[in-house]
Amino acid sequence: MPDWKDEIRKRLARLKLSPAREAEIVDELAQHLDDRYQQSLLGGATEKEAYQAARRELAASDVLARELSRVERSVLQDPVVPGAQRRKNMGEDVWQDLRYGLRMIIKNPAFTAIAVIALALGIGANSAIFSVVNTVLLQPLPYKDPDRLVMVWEDISAKGFPRDTPAAANYIDWRDQNQVFEGMAAMANESFNLTGAGDPERIDGRRVSASLFPLLGVEPYLGRAFSPEEDQPGGNKVVILSNGLWKRRFGADMNIVGKAFTFNGESVQVVGVMPPRFQFPSPEDELWVPIAFTNQQAASRGRHYLQVIARLKPGVSLPQARAEMDTIAARLKQQYPETNAYVGVAVVPLHEQLVGDVKPALLVLLGAVGFVLLVACANVANLLLARAAGRQKEIALRVALGASRWRLIRQFLTESVLLAALGGALGLLLAVVGLSVLKSFIPETISQAQAITIDTKVLLFTLGVSLLTGVIFGLAPAMQASNFNLNESLKEGGRDSSVGARGNRIRGLLVVTEVAVSLLLLIGAGLLINSFLRLRSVDPGFRAENLLTMKVVLPKLKYPEHAQRSAFYTEVTRRVEALPGVKSAAVTTNLPLYLQGNSITINFDGRPEPPPGQRPVVVTRVISPNYFTTMSMPLLAGRNINDQDKLELPAAVVISETMAKRFWPGEDPIGKRIVAGPLNSPPEEWMTVIGIVKDVRQFELVAEPKPQMYLSYQQASFFEPNDLVVKTSVDPVSLAATVRNAVWGVDKDQPVSNIRTMEEILSKSIARQRFTMLLLGIFAGVALLLAAVGIYGVMSYSLAQRTHEIGIRMALGAQRSHVLKLAVGQGLKLVLIGVAIGLAAAFGLTRVMKSLLFGVSATDPTTIFTISMLLVGVALLASYIPARRATKVDPLVALRYE
Amino acid sequence: MAYKGSRILDRELKKGSAELLILSLVEDQPRHGYDIGSLIEQRSGGMLKFNVASLYPLLYRLEKRRWIQGRWVEKAGQRRRRYYRLTAEGKKVLAAQRNSWKEFVEAISHITGIKHA
Repeated sequence: MPDWKDEIRKRLARLKLSPAREAEIVDELAQHLDDRYQQSLLGGATEKEAYQAARRELAASDVLARELSRVERSVLQDPVVPGAQRRKNMGEDVWQDLRYGLRMIIKNPAFTAIAVIALALGIGANSAIFSVVNTVLLQPLPYKDPDRLVMVWEDISAKGFPRDTPAAANYIDWRDQNQVFEGMAAMANESFNLTGAGDPERIDGRRVSASLFPLLGVEPYLGRAFSPEEDQPGGNKVVILSNGLWKRRFGADMNIVGKAFTFNGESVQVVGVMPPRFQFPSPEDELWVPIAFTNQQAASRGRHYLQVIARLKPGVSLPQARAEMDTIAARLKQQYPETNAYVGVAVVPLHEQLVGDVKPALLVLLGAVGFVLLVACANVANLLLARAAGRQKEIALRVALGASRWRLIRQFLTESVLLAALGGALGLLLAVVGLSVLKSFIPETISQAQAITIDTKVLLFTLGVSLLTGVIFGLAPAMQASNFNLNESLKEGGRDSSVGARGNRIRGLLVVTEVAVSLLLLIGAGLLINSFLRLRSVDPGFRAENLLTMKVVLPKLKYPEHAQRSAFYTEVTRRVEALPGVKSAAVTTNLPLYLQGNSITINFDGRPEPPPGQRPVVVTRVISPNYFTTMSMPLLAGRNINDQDKLELPAAVVISETMAKRFWPGEDPIGKRIVAGPLNSPPEEWMTVIGIVKDVRQFELVAEPKPQMYLSYQQASFFEPNDLVVKTSVDPVSLAATVRNAVWGVDKDQPVSNIRTMEEILSKSIARQRFTMLLLGIFAGVALLLAAVGIYGVMSYSLAQRTHEIGIRMALGAQRSHVLKLAVGQGLKLVLIGVAIGLAAAFGLTRVMKSLLFGVSATDPTTIFTISMLLVGVALLASYIPARRATKVDPLVALRYE
Repeated sequence: MAYKGSRILDRELKKGSAELLILSLVEDQPRHGYDIGSLIEQRSGGMLKFNVASLYPLLYRLEKRRWIQGRWVEKAGQRRRRYYRLTAEGKKVLAAQRNSWKEFVEAISHITGIKHA
């Protein structure tokens, strides 16, 4: 039979079809002509006639090409010269690579799943933490020109208060004398009892200068800000509500402006409502009233209770402002040596003030997730390397067909970037889910915590990280794949020892990296966990179990007299103690572990008066008799405060252990007298020490107890108790409503708020540490898992490659245990190198965590040793499993194995 | 075929009807190109003839439009052949073309007075 193919090919030549397409057409048409030829012969034609009949089908020489040119797309393409040509059609190449990559991804679902999950974990963790960092650290505060806002504090470093709350008179002098600030505003904590219309409620708010809102550059949502006249004594019966309070308590009444309500027993008119999400200075603040200093308040330099914010004038730098404020402070020191001898000024940018505490933790976490991603990259690179080795035939074929090295690298990179993109997409999903979980763990003290979202910046970050990841973990396999011995690879069954060696080197390097980075993360996490455990085991000085607490703040207007207030508390504690399930009840001015409370300066009987500003400061709490019993605080000496310590008697005081040791070392303090004023105070102001009680952590678990004293609420009229604490014999939460009703039984308008168990307060006080520890722990765990998988993978692969060798060894009489040792030893060597590098890095890097640690040094040998052993153990296991499998190989099978 | 006029008509008709013919032939079963060409010639009593140079470009065009789909099939003892089958989209097109062809023929018949048998 004649061969038509050349004839057809000639006619197709000018179309420049792709070789594959051309071959297909030639095949089909030739088949047709064969059929025609056969048919003619069957019909009785001669071979010559049959040939001519078939030949006629092709018609005139140009017809086929002309007709086909309308249908077939030609491909610009020069003949492929092996190993030489660079493709001109880049777009086509990229498209081809993408399609090919997708096919590879679909063809190996297990490989794809492992790689994508590893990457998603890494990328997801990065996106989640980055969105926190983005919102908390990077996003500008929601005020006008937030960069120029600063907080101004009294700097009393000499007494351990580098940022103390300013006194009113100092604030006023600063405000009037400076030339560097556009404006300055003062704020003071205040809580308000809102009565009438529903249950009485206690609301946290601030007294603020009228200038605060214009200073921040925030307009009210409804109504207006305060006028300067309203910031005067007597003119201040006005209030601005937070958006939340307005919605929650006033049903988002659009006509609320101008209406009056009862706050703290006074009628106060609403002049404005703030926009949603306005929270200043604290998220808890729900209303603002003018601060309106009285003349007496304005003259005081002894009471330090304000927060001061200021706005830098345009063109004034922070150092300039600091210099000017230092000058003013120095002047005030000379003018008022009594009060200002140690008072300097600290000017702190608002942003630093708000995020200062969380910044180190967030940066450590950001670093940690970066490392997790690195481990994930190393893992996927390992997988790709192993696979690339399996694909050497394919690569060899490509090279033989003329693919350039660059072209191969590009193809491998396309595949890895595709994988990374998939990982990124899944990671983003993980981040969204993770973030919603994360939000519930973010301590409330982190400003803007609830505003954390995945925005464009986070999306771009994720995209960037994914692409970068793809390039990083794809580069090693791509380089390796593009660099090998063509002849060896093409030979059937050829053992490509050179590539194998190099591949093993790269894989080994990756394992070392994984181990080092995981160790670093694990040590970090270990240090935090250790700190946290120590923090948890700190004795707060009281027993938190079965304690119910609530705020009961008496309005001064309704209870102006000390006797009335005492009577109220006496009655409330009496009624609560009578409730079933209640063991005892007490009131106090401040519960422990709240970052606030009163302190007073004292003088000692029989000792000379120290110079002004050097008198000892003592944390002071005013309590009812059952307080120590309720809190389970053991009395160490003397007697407790009791009902007999009445107002008319000389005041009795119980002091803390630390106070006793600090001020009466080697002496018995019982019976000693102290005074809150000068030594020449009248006798009725002197107090007598009657007992010593165990220390409590007043402010934070991390802070050592300060000297502290306790006075009876009946005798001390200068501080008002406002916390009720109840020891129960049943679940404290179950008594919440009963106890509240008992309070309302005494005064139905009395607000009761912040109902919490003491355990909640305790756990909240370490929320930030828990948050950091938990996250770093999770990340370190992920890294450990990834590293274990990585080591396992590399060992399995390299042992599978050595099956032949192992078979020979065993055939020659090597003991199984010997082979096992050999195999595990190979893994162990890599792990130990990794551990050594990781340890070196840990010594350098854990230093940045110093501020996050408690009771543990950044190079704590126990932690570091334990963690290293843990990692070595996991790594050993990860290399033992494949090693054991390798020794189970039947030498016969192994030797046959090619 | 004796008159020049009838040859022009023949070519135009072929052009217009070719798609319809091919689609109809692969409607019930997949067929290869030679089969399609032979059937057209046979059933038209030799009136309609396609050669390789005209048939295959047409097949490829229909395939490109996704009305038919070609697939290489190897049967025991035979060379592999490319079989074309009608796609779902092709079915719709075929129905529509049949309809308009019928209308066209009827219209022509009315005018020219040709009666159906």
